[in-house]
Amino acid sequence: MDHGILALTVFLLFCLLLESHIRLPFWLAWVGKWHPMVLHFPIVLLLLMVLLGLTNQRMAPVLVQFTVLATLVTAISGFFLAVGNGEKGDLLFWHQYGGSLLALLAGLWYVLFQYGLHQKGYAKGVLAVIMVLTFTTGHFGASITHGEDFLALPRNPEKKELPENPKIYAHVVHPILETNCIPCHNPNKKKGGLLMTSLEGLLKGGEKGNTLVPGNVEESELLRRLHLPKTDEEHMPPDGKKPLEASEIAILERWIALGALDTLTLAQLGPEEPLTNLVKALMAPQESEQWKELPLVADSTLQRLASDYLTIQRLANHSNALTITAFSPPIYDPSPITALQAIAQNVVALDLSNLPLGAQEIDFVAQCTPLQRLDLDGTPITSATLGKLAHLEELQFLRLHGTSLDDGALSHLAQFKNLKKLYVWNTGIKQSALREFKEKNAGIEIEDGIQDSLESFFRKSDTLGLKQNGAP
Amino acid sequence: MEKEEHKDKNPLQENRRHFFSQLSVGIGSLALGSLLIPDLFKGSETIQTQQALGLPHFAPKAKRVIYLFQAGAPSQLESFDYKPTLIKRMGEDLPESIRNGQRLTGMTSGQDKFPLMPPKIGFNQYGDSRTWVSDFFPHIAKIADEITVVKSMHTEAINHDPAITFFQTGSQISGRPSMGSWLSYGLGSENKNLPSFVVLTSRGKGNSQGLYSKLWSSGFLDSKHQGVLLRSGKDPVLYLNDPDGLSRSDKRHLLDHVSSLNKLHHVETGDDEIESRIAQYEMAYRMQMSVPDVMDISKEPESIIQLYGEECQVPGTYAANALQARRLAENGVRFIQLYHQGWDQHGNLHNEMAGQAKDVDQASAALVLDLKQRGMLDDTLVIWGGEFGRGNYAQGKFDLNNYGRDHHPRAFSIWMAGGGIKPGLNYGKTDEFGYNVIENPVHINDFHATLMHALGLDHEQLTYKYQGRRFRLTDVAGNVIKDLLA
Repeated sequence: MDHGILALTVFLLFCLLLESHIRLPFWLAWVGKWHPMVLHFPIVLLLLMVLLGLTNQRMAPVLVQFTVLATLVTAISGFFLAVGNGEKGDLLFWHQYGGSLLALLAGLWYVLFQYGLHQKGYAKGVLAVIMVLTFTTGHFGASITHGEDFLALPRNPEKKELPENPKIYAHVVHPILETNCIPCHNPNKKKGGLLMTSLEGLLKGGEKGNTLVPGNVEESELLRRLHLPKTDEEHMPPDGKKPLEASEIAILERWIALGALDTLTLAQLGPEEPLTNLVKALMAPQESEQWKELPLVADSTLQRLASDYLTIQRLANHSNALTITAFSPPIYDPSPITALQAIAQNVVALDLSNLPLGAQEIDFVAQCTPLQRLDLDGTPITSATLGKLAHLEELQFLRLHGTSLDDGALSHLAQFKNLKKLYVWNTGIKQSALREFKEKNAGIEIEDGIQDSLESFFRKSDTLGLKQNGAP
Repeated sequence: MEKEEHKDKNPLQENRRHFFSQLSVGIGSLALGSLLIPDLFKGSETIQTQQALGLPHFAPKAKRVIYLFQAGAPSQLESFDYKPTLIKRMGEDLPESIRNGQRLTGMTSGQDKFPLMPPKIGFNQYGDSRTWVSDFFPHIAKIADEITVVKSMHTEAINHDPAITFFQTGSQISGRPSMGSWLSYGLGSENKNLPSFVVLTSRGKGNSQGLYSKLWSSGFLDSKHQGVLLRSGKDPVLYLNDPDGLSRSDKRHLLDHVSSLNKLHHVETGDDEIESRIAQYEMAYRMQMSVPDVMDISKEPESIIQLYGEECQVPGTYAANALQARRLAENGVRFIQLYHQGWDQHGNLHNEMAGQAKDVDQASAALVLDLKQRGMLDDTLVIWGGEFGRGNYAQGKFDLNNYGRDHHPRAFSIWMAGGGIKPGLNYGKTDEFGYNVIENPVHINDFHATLMHALGLDHEQLTYKYQGRRFRLTDVAGNVIKDLLA
């Protein structure tokens, strides 16, 4: 046993000193593959030895021998693995020398143990160093295999929000690579000699070259491998890792087709470029996210409040966001609408078109704070009552055409913070006032009826003979 | 030590307290383990993914559809698919490399020559989208940036009946539910006083093919999802009005009594069909009020009449139906199906098509503009198109002054607007002869899948089990064409 320990120690020292000259036969490289399995033994044994040693427990010599042997075998197999893998990153460097030092220190302690010096202070110092080295070397090794942040605290996998005009490489492509590729193709673990952390690395490529050929989708090895069937040896990511989503592959493909530039931004893409849609899909807030804060509302409540002339619907399955549409009954009664107060906090769209609304209905509307879309066209709403609604901050879409609103309404309309679309044709609002409002509120798209030129084109082509009744 | 005391005990000699304390540890650890399996108590996958009916699967872009069906199949070569090659090579025989064995109908299978036939009508590009539109459609040309023309539609059928049945039901063989019925089944009705699926028909002067109620049948779905044909004239729904001398309150009493009898029967048998029958009587009663109201266009202002064209005041015309369609959409009807007959131009194509186009051009464009100014184009999907396309060779003799075109399933054009569809897009391409799709083909199943997606439905999830298997509108095919979606 002692001879074995001595032999392996010498062999390890030899390897370390002559590393650059070593060419491994293939079967030795295969021995290296056992390193990730074997390494668990010395970790446990070393820590056990440290624990027993520091607490002055009795220790069988065979335990110490096994520990030293296991540490040496692991260090040597690790050495083979590293040599077989080509380029060495910083992490691997420290891991390798840490592991070797650990094996040598274990050997040293075994010598002290044999001479009965193991209860001396300096022997315990060696043990302490062994313990620290076991942890650090183990951690380095794990970082190589599992990625550097494998021990990072768990985070919610919340998607980072993309800026208004994202850079395609930095904000879209790189994050895809970061999740799927970079854990194996980084400076510490350059699988296949490929570095994917930067655009330069991608362009330089790996051992097989042509990882990414700007503008040429067919020639790009990266895409070829992504597109291979999952069972193929060469498919990336390799067996056992999560394959990329079809949309992610499509993004990479279009980006490469467009020249793989790191300067490209969303705004530079045409509307017909498929990449535009793919990126926009990433940017769109998930509807379910948007309304997850809404209070719960039971189906029974909805059934109770709905009637033949009042439809209440969830926006989608399992959503607490409600859309409400009221239709004109033969005899109008405001009570079904005012009864909706119970669910006012859930209403995101409300259609009260063409109903003879009174003050109490408007008061109800004012309570619907999550409201995004509101239809009040053809109702008797006035400029003064409109002011009651100006605090609806989420409101984006507002239909007011066919009402008797006048210029006074515009000052209230300017108060809606998020208003994006406004329908005000066929109202008492004057063209000049509306024009001024448009200039001041460029963010609001205003629909003020069909263009005059279009209207006259449609009017002209009438053939049945015009009956001029005067404009309504 | 305590351990020693237990050693001699028979392991079976457990006391009750001991047993329970061990049991609780066991159950506790089971419970702990189960925390790691979130779906353990939620049943199997299939039950989980089953969707509640009457609700979209995800937030929809469109809430309703107006389908302007041009029955008989308008020629794409005289409307939206401009092919100058046909002018350059007019009269030449269609190369076999292009026809590539395409089967023919009985009407041209006897022809020994297939001379390439150019359109007699002129074409121009319109809007920022530079969409090609023929001079037959000056009004649709004006809305070129609102619509998306799909030039790469293709189907399998070459005759009207199977082709139109395929378009409406997803199958060439009749008996499946119509698209409108599927949507009614999947999304429920928005307005309980009107059917969720309404059909309006009109007829042009061109050569036309029959329409039959099977096209709006609910097939194996509940009959309440069936399309209701609204006729022009004073009796829009047959047998809806009460006979003379029956007052509305008498009718109410009658319905109440019938309903109480039906309820008794329901308690006895528990048959759900009885409940749905009661509901249908009640709906018909409300429709007696709501239908005349929605059909009455007398309150439409002059400007709207002018927009759709004066013809919209003549009941039964396409223009009248288009205006009606907008009113039905405003009143919460989910699926409004218009059919305009007369697009089957086997001969005299130029003159017949001019008349057909005149019927539909202004009103179709007006509908889009009108929906837009009302803020309804965002959530209303408008579709314009026929059941297949027409061939690029002359049917019969080659005569530019009197030519016809036979059916052609391999490539044709439709357009869509609003409802979550990207505006101003020209999607798909045909070859220079306008015969084969060479880019972005859209099969009928893909079209259905995309339409359902816009309405918030997953076409693979909306199923109905009948005769031992689950049916879908798209059966076992169909891909959502994401590029079309805004």
